[in-house]
Amino acid sequence: MQQAQIQSMLPEADLAYTVLADLKRVVREYATAATEANCPEIRQMFTDLLNSSLRMQGDLYQLMQQNNMYSSPSPALRQELEKQLDQNRQTLQQTKQLIQQMMSAAPQAMQHMPMGSMQSGQTHPQQHQQNQQHQQQGHFYN
Amino acid sequence: MMQPVTGKELEYVVDSMSNEDLLMKQCAVAAVSATNPALRAMCASMQQVHEQHYQALVSKLEQHQQMAPTQPQH
Repeated sequence: MQQAQIQSMLPEADLAYTVLADLKRVVREYATAATEANCPEIRQMFTDLLNSSLRMQGDLYQLMQQNNMYSSPSPALRQELEKQLDQNRQTLQQTKQLIQQMMSAAPQAMQHMPMGSMQSGQTHPQQHQQNQQHQQQGHFYN
Repeated sequence: MMQPVTGKELEYVVDSMSNEDLLMKQCAVAAVSATNPALRAMCASMQQVHEQHYQALVSKLEQHQQMAPTQPQH
């Protein structure tokens, strides 16, 4: 009760910010919990709670921004974007060369290591789809 | 398919329950004391969702209650 009385004296922007900050914290905790879960159904529960909390955090943030309770950060400069893109294109090029060297140095080892063997037990169809998605996404960066 | 809940999982579930409990109260306070109608409405609906989250966590523990061993396992 006492806490409620103190909180009701806070300006509504501060009140909203308190909820937003806690939602951010809870989202992180659910993500950690999901990654450290042992039972698949417990992992699924934390994943669902993560998605639900993330949605609420996003909605609240949008509402606060629309009502000028949260000032948007200033945009990054185009030069900065270009610099980062340049640097990262170089890094990707170097990584690709390195991987190619590794593959040609040990062709048999790579061929005899299917993706599935790195994960314990059976691969779920969902994981297969995720792998394919990753590969598809990868094409955008080529 | 269902396995006993681990000690670590139990800790996360319990921590999450206290987080959801706090958020329920915070949203309730915001829902009654905010002047912006959209903010009031959103906080009122979020309070309900946090209650559902809390209930989901409790139900999960209840489901695992019978499966939990009574002796420490190696």
